Amino acid sequence: MAASDNILVVKDVCKYFPGVKALDHVSLEVPRGVVYGIVGENGAGKSTLMKILSGVYEKDAGAVVFDGKTIEKTSPIDALRRGLSIIYQEFNLVNTMTVGENIFLGRFKESGGMRGTHQKARALLDSIGSKIDTYAMVGDLSASEMQMVEIAKALSFDSKLIIMDEPSSSLTSEELRKLGVIINQLRDRGIAIIYISHKLDEIFEYCNIVTIMRDGHVIDTKPVEELTRAEMIAKMIGREIENEYPPRTHCVGDVLLEVRNLNTRKLHDISFKLHKGEILGLVGLVGAGRTEIIRALYGADKVSGHEVRINGEVVRIRSPKQAKRAGLGLVPEDRKRQGLITSFTVQSNITMAALDRLTRFGVVNSASEKDIAQRQIKALAVKTPSAQATVGNLSGGNQQKCIVGRWMELNPKILILDEPTRGIDVGAKYEIYVLMNRIVEEGGAVIMISSELPEVLNMSNRVLTICEGRITGEFNPEQASTSEIMDKAIG
Amino acid sequence: MSELSIKKNKSVARVISHNLVLIVIVLLIVVTAIVEPKFASASNLTNVLRQLWPLPFVALGMSFVIIGGFIDLSVVGIISLCSVVAVSLIDPLGQVGAILCAILVGGLLGYINGTILTTCGAMIQAEVLFITYGMSSIYMALGLIFTNAETLRIARATKPITIFTALGSGTVGVIPIVLIVFIVILLAMYFFHTKTLAGRSISLMGGNKDAAFLAGYNVKRTMRMVYAISGLMSGMAAISLVARTTTATATCGTGFETEAILCVVVGGTSLKGGKGNVIRTMLGVVLITLLGNCMNMLGLSTYMQTVMRGAVLVVAIWLDNRKGQ
Repeated sequence: MAASDNILVVKDVCKYFPGVKALDHVSLEVPRGVVYGIVGENGAGKSTLMKILSGVYEKDAGAVVFDGKTIEKTSPIDALRRGLSIIYQEFNLVNTMTVGENIFLGRFKESGGMRGTHQKARALLDSIGSKIDTYAMVGDLSASEMQMVEIAKALSFDSKLIIMDEPSSSLTSEELRKLGVIINQLRDRGIAIIYISHKLDEIFEYCNIVTIMRDGHVIDTKPVEELTRAEMIAKMIGREIENEYPPRTHCVGDVLLEVRNLNTRKLHDISFKLHKGEILGLVGLVGAGRTEIIRALYGADKVSGHEVRINGEVVRIRSPKQAKRAGLGLVPEDRKRQGLITSFTVQSNITMAALDRLTRFGVVNSASEKDIAQRQIKALAVKTPSAQATVGNLSGGNQQKCIVGRWMELNPKILILDEPTRGIDVGAKYEIYVLMNRIVEEGGAVIMISSELPEVLNMSNRVLTICEGRITGEFNPEQASTSEIMDKAIG
Repeated sequence: MSELSIKKNKSVARVISHNLVLIVIVLLIVVTAIVEPKFASASNLTNVLRQLWPLPFVALGMSFVIIGGFIDLSVVGIISLCSVVAVSLIDPLGQVGAILCAILVGGLLGYINGTILTTCGAMIQAEVLFITYGMSSIYMALGLIFTNAETLRIARATKPITIFTALGSGTVGVIPIVLIVFIVILLAMYFFHTKTLAGRSISLMGGNKDAAFLAGYNVKRTMRMVYAISGLMSGMAAISLVARTTTATATCGTGFETEAILCVVVGGTSLKGGKGNVIRTMLGVVLITLLGNCMNMLGLSTYMQTVMRGAVLVVAIWLDNRKGQ
């Protein structure tokens, strides 16, 4: 029987949310022992499908067959017991418990008490070649180690199918390579893996089969070898794009910003210059101090003793408020926690930095507030039902545009973008790049942090490598090779 | 056809869920009036309006703290201490001076709370809860030390107490003077919250402190302001309480913190912060007060009334969380 070769069969599954068809007759077949990629822009329906499989949502129509059995209703714990694990982007671990306890959370008795738990946890971790101490606190682990714990947890349930949702988003390239090795091992053990990612390189590297989704539909399913990168992107966004990056700007002028002797516990002697019309990329591993540099510059963290000059004049920036006054803007790393007020309207989120300019005698002019929101929604092509829609309901790309729009309204001299394209789709990425170029063409400057090296190299006029809190190199990305830059970034 | 009726059903459901408090209030009035006709009598309603104070003031101040994403248990201590201050200053300063002083002391104590919270970096709800609880004990204890736990009476003052009498029992037509004063303050605070930058920054802070901070708001200052507002309102609450009861004790504010939080939450302001407004809180005040009165009229025991209050709070939070999904 052909069906038994498939660990998972999804047939004509539909899911409706108020006003949206999140999934429209979605069908796919996942054979045993393959790595099955699912790609699609945000809002394509990937997460909804995964949530139906794991029992978080209920499907409205269609059938799901897992391991030969038709699944009607399920809950996350049922799904786990059947052998279907999901590893979410934000891990599902208890930070204040040990590794072993996390792996066998809620099953101490079955796993033979505390000793049995740790022994079995050790064995599971060994089986994927991980050396993490099972007595270590999960909160002290790195993102990659947490992922290993999640994988061990999935294995502890004897999972036949492991779904990984954006597994690489918080990994360095070295950690990602290790993950690749483990994925191959799991596949060799006959475990099927569904690999959801925005990063097409990874899909090509790890996956055997790939399904492309768009707007709740399955657009195509093919063996990876039969697809090119350009075809995949075209299917994801429903149109051809010629380039992933807009042409690089060349309008670098005089020195605009100068930072001298920035020292903290993590940062050592950070001094650099930023020119008018320049996009400056900061490259380094996660935790190397990239975000700390820009947070210190922006006044978000308490730092003293350094000197900041803008247009040659010393400016004192000790709070984001002062930074804003000095002409800086920040699009922070974590869109939902630091950037947006997700429960507020698109309008509030766009206008919040500009409100103090619309104020007379302490009273905010609500008419100009509306104008600003409309102007930025139009200028940035934010896809939203209205300015009064809740920003949390928009897709990642459109949310990011709201934050960028917040600063565009102030015409910042220097816009700092920390991981500006994390978790947003290809189409929206391109639009963010175009916005960056527009800022520098209008005489501003951009500092960009990104873990995606190709992005930094294609967008920046100059790149600084950061390693262990120091600036270790300066490159012209048009001349330097990737390996030269990575060499300095790893240290 | 069927889709149309679903849409209609949905919009009906939305109207109901948006005006739930109002609907419950109307239902409560209708049902109680039928079961117990005395409920709708003029004397009962006047009585309710007179017994209402100081809750509306406390709830008004508490709204700002909760919209800002925090909570304030110190209102108990502030109301108590301000009552004591108000009564004991009538003789030395006269009634106007005593009232102004008491309100200012309230604002100052609130500001001190805010400053303590910001300087010790209390940013999570549990810390805020216990620090304000601790401050409340301190304020209450100060009052106890000052009064030797005795009851102060405004009637003992040698100077005129006409303002207190007017606030306590004076009316314009049938409307109590204190209600008129309150409505003026309420409207001013509503304008402050929705139209001014300072008011808006409270909602932004409640929605997401980090985002507000990075967008250039002084979150610590907003936090101090929020507690100062709560303190000011507690000061006014103290005046309205003294005016109604004509006495002050160093523990007379006890219980108003939970009542106020109850009103805010029942009114539909989320404990998660960011959402809500002061008008909604007033609906909560009306509902909770009516509920108390109805239960009295229907002869429910005080224990049973406490059970009902607890149940209302749980249901309100539950409904709020359902809305969030």
